[in-house]
Amino acid sequence: MSVKEKLKKVLIEDLNLEDLTPDMIDDDMALFGDGLGLDSLDAVELVVVVQKHFGVEIKDMDEGRPALQSISTLAQFIEEKQGQ
Amino acid sequence: MSNWTSRSIGRDWQHRFFYLAIKLGGRRLAYLCLYVVVAWYARFSAVAKERASHYLARRFPDAGAWQRFWLRYRLILTFGQVLIDRAMVGILGAECIKVQLHGKDELLNLLGEGKGVILVNAHVGCWQVAMSSLSFMETPVNLLMQREEGDIDRHYFEHAGVECPYHIIDPRGFLGGALEMMEVLKRGEVLSVMGDRMLGDDQNGVSVEFLGGKVTMPFSAYKLAAATGAPIVALFSFKTGPDRYDLKLYRTIRVAPGLGRDQQAFVPYVQEFAATLEEFSWEHPFQFFNFFNMWYE
Repeated sequence: MSVKEKLKKVLIEDLNLEDLTPDMIDDDMALFGDGLGLDSLDAVELVVVVQKHFGVEIKDMDEGRPALQSISTLAQFIEEKQGQ
Repeated sequence: MSNWTSRSIGRDWQHRFFYLAIKLGGRRLAYLCLYVVVAWYARFSAVAKERASHYLARRFPDAGAWQRFWLRYRLILTFGQVLIDRAMVGILGAECIKVQLHGKDELLNLLGEGKGVILVNAHVGCWQVAMSSLSFMETPVNLLMQREEGDIDRHYFEHAGVECPYHIIDPRGFLGGALEMMEVLKRGEVLSVMGDRMLGDDQNGVSVEFLGGKVTMPFSAYKLAAATGAPIVALFSFKTGPDRYDLKLYRTIRVAPGLGRDQQAFVPYVQEFAATLEEFSWEHPFQFFNFFNMWYE
């Protein structure tokens, strides 16, 4: 399973996005606001989810801002961190 | 979600008048002027009457007409004194106010856990003055704070013309400042937020019981605590004399990890805070400064 696929799966499970399936989440869909519809406090949950399932820590705003844009950017961030 | 406005009742020149009084005659002159001004506001200002009435009706439900006037006078007078004290710290220096902290050892122990500490304050006493006594912690203090256009009363550091001693996190920033708040807690720093009032367009509130009715209070701090393991501390200040304040650690709240997205999971913790704030309002009835209708039921 690719990082993107796993990410979609754990987001749906851990953030209780029960109305969604992985197929319905576009790779470039915005995570917050009009896209996936997550709110600012979900960002807190998302940071925890990424650490729990991928062993990757989003340490600060400099890392978080570009990473938490879409599934693609977050997956890319995870892959880069795992490769280090 | 709330009908609170940060716009002050007083006009800009009225604030400036008191700043001048402080410079010319110190606290004594400023307080003297305040007694007259507050008497006028308490008797004739419809806006002041309306804004003070919501809390007072809950806290003193059996008060008659004359008693209501007296209660309103005391509440607005104490609020005015707090604003003067806050300005004095900036204009005349921090040494003009003495702050006694209760719970210092417990705070240090909590900081020693290395997960940061979330101070949940409320609009009571004078938190800005009291916060100045937290320098012993030797760790950066970060404030979640939003200023609105129309705010004319200044913070003490603005009077002093010095840089703000705290790092301000603006809730209008990226993702409401959520990541920034997490970041400071991960570094083991102190995060200070207001727990009694919803900020701006914040929708992250839950319904809890407070003074016999239902109010909406924010749960963001509790969610952060669940994610980071940081303890929550209900820390309130109150005026104990003309130049004295106490800052008291009322309660430490431990939020269970992994509560997820269900906001109802945070209600018991927010309720614990609300109960602590209610306890404060019974102890210090004239130092509770939410001048809007918090209650929707």
